[in-house]
Amino acid sequence: MFIAEDLTGPMTEPILIDDLTFAYDTHDVLNGLSLRVPAGSITALLGGNGAGKSTTLSTLLGFTRARSGRVEVCGMDPATDPDAVRRRIAYLPENVALYEHLTAVENADYLLALSGERQGHDAITAALAAAGLQDQAWHQRLGGFSKGMRQKVAIAVALLRRVPVLLLDEPTSGLDPRATADFSQLLLQVRERGTAILMVTHDLLSAADIADRIAFLEAGRVAHEVRADGPERFDVRALHARFQLGGDRLAA
Amino acid sequence: MGLFRYELRLLLRQRLTVGALALLALLTVAALAMGMAEVARQRAAIAAIPAAQAEDIGAVAHYVDHTRDAGSAAYYSFHPTWDAPAPLAFAALGMRDVSPYILRVRALGLEAQIYDGDTFNPELALPGRFDFAFVLVFLAPLFVIALFHDLRSAEREAGRQRMLDALPNGGRALWRRRTLLRFLLTWSAIGIPFGIAAAFAGVAVAPILIVLALVAAYLLFWIALAALVGRLRWSSVANAAALAAAWLVLVLIVPTLCNVAINAAIPVNQGAEIAMAQREAVNGAWDVPREATMRRFYATHPEWADSAPLGPEFHYKWYLAFHENGDESVAPAVRAYRQGLEARDAAARALGWVLPSVGVQALLTRIARTDLTAQLAYQDRIRAFHHRLRTFYYGYLFRDRPFGKTDFDRAPRFDDRDRG
Repeated sequence: MFIAEDLTGPMTEPILIDDLTFAYDTHDVLNGLSLRVPAGSITALLGGNGAGKSTTLSTLLGFTRARSGRVEVCGMDPATDPDAVRRRIAYLPENVALYEHLTAVENADYLLALSGERQGHDAITAALAAAGLQDQAWHQRLGGFSKGMRQKVAIAVALLRRVPVLLLDEPTSGLDPRATADFSQLLLQVRERGTAILMVTHDLLSAADIADRIAFLEAGRVAHEVRADGPERFDVRALHARFQLGGDRLAA
Repeated sequence: MGLFRYELRLLLRQRLTVGALALLALLTVAALAMGMAEVARQRAAIAAIPAAQAEDIGAVAHYVDHTRDAGSAAYYSFHPTWDAPAPLAFAALGMRDVSPYILRVRALGLEAQIYDGDTFNPELALPGRFDFAFVLVFLAPLFVIALFHDLRSAEREAGRQRMLDALPNGGRALWRRRTLLRFLLTWSAIGIPFGIAAAFAGVAVAPILIVLALVAAYLLFWIALAALVGRLRWSSVANAAALAAAWLVLVLIVPTLCNVAINAAIPVNQGAEIAMAQREAVNGAWDVPREATMRRFYATHPEWADSAPLGPEFHYKWYLAFHENGDESVAPAVRAYRQGLEARDAAARALGWVLPSVGVQALLTRIARTDLTAQLAYQDRIRAFHHRLRTFYYGYLFRDRPFGKTDFDRAPRFDDRDRG
């Protein structure tokens, strides 16, 4: 069991969002969102379309500037110091589209070089292995890779970068159950390294499977927040009902 | 260097990119080869002049030696002039493609000889022969569009944009690096073949560097335009369409419209009209009293006024005098024609400051000495030579000195080194 509230301070809570508001023109997207993701934990952010999940990620990455409120990543404001924040974040978009003309090793090496964090070939292959990519695929171009395989390459890059924060946007969308299970295992390994993981998802089952905390986003704010509790972790049936209710409300 | 290597690898593993660069290099090489072949052909024609001239004069000399008549010598002998191509002419054939680079003149009326085949004067950067200038001005922008239209949009459409943006140091440095690499490859596809060809042709270092800088500047203009369109965040297809439209407008439509506008604003008669007017003046002179013709001639050439009076029989000094009178009668038209051409050329060059395609074409032909200025300078050299030729024959005709076979050896010879 993981008690998030026991951890305090910027490094123990690498992601800190407090009373955040954001609007596109006159349309409010985030409306008093507050969220904390402690180090070594996985927080799943669920919500219907337009609930503000992607905007939350964009704000953490410094792509959008909040109208009001407080956002900190490892104690730094993404709006004022985006590059320093991005040095501490690994981000996996919904569709991990890497470079099809490069091999898995080359992709990892290239992305690390782009980040200014190059590492040796052995370290890269070790990370790919740790991410669960079979060694036959290391030197194959990504053209024929499945989404799961591409995600493993991206996770390997995150592992190599040793960033304290991992942001995931719909990571299990389009993955088959086996790949979803593999990915979940991988995330748990990353969590064990002390990484704070924020996962935006529609997939309640996989969220319930690995998350330490699930936040339901509704109309731009966290409407419900539940924590893993006991060996059963979450009551998925109850969560599903709650999630459906939130989705209906949003859809309405 | 590691990142550049990766960017290069990414580029070179894309068949379309490699194909486009290879095609551009191939077109450049083909254009250079064709330009060099054309210049070699012109040089060979010029090199063949002395032998052909010796043969021609030999045939005339036999007859002249028999008659001892300087008038026959002047009438039947042609004297060659030529405009040897500058070392860089192969890169931009310019006016050499449409105006004569060899002109054989007689000591008769000159203007008709100069303007005999002059029916049009393309002053602006209209599509011309397939040469290096054509590849650079007309085709290179299309390759820039092919390589740069999706520089950012391709990443967006592939779903990588947000991931790249989320990387530290990924932002501007990435796009700068990619732009620089594509620019260097495009520039190399054009510049390296040109540099080799220019060195092979014996072009001095300075003009080579100027042309290479010009290539870079022109490519950068199109790259900047592609970057500007890219900032609008349209799709790759929309970017390509917008840039293709810009190419059509900036390279074809506007220069053509400006050409029409300049021609309308600065009316210039055809050179052939001068030739016609001179011929009519000469033909009309047969009906003019010979004394009147000679009076007019002596008025402008008093150095021959003490020549013996004409008798009733035909004399070539009268014939040549009315030819020269004919030239003088069209002199104002010649001046106006030249001024008109120069004014059009100046207007086209001024346009080059705002229209890169026109400016690059004009600058290339200027450096290659194949522009209107070079053509007019050649005409000036022809006129100077023709003046010496006339004076030479007048020395025999107006002093009634016999002209023999060996006198041809004393005739002035055209020297192309007398460049303006």
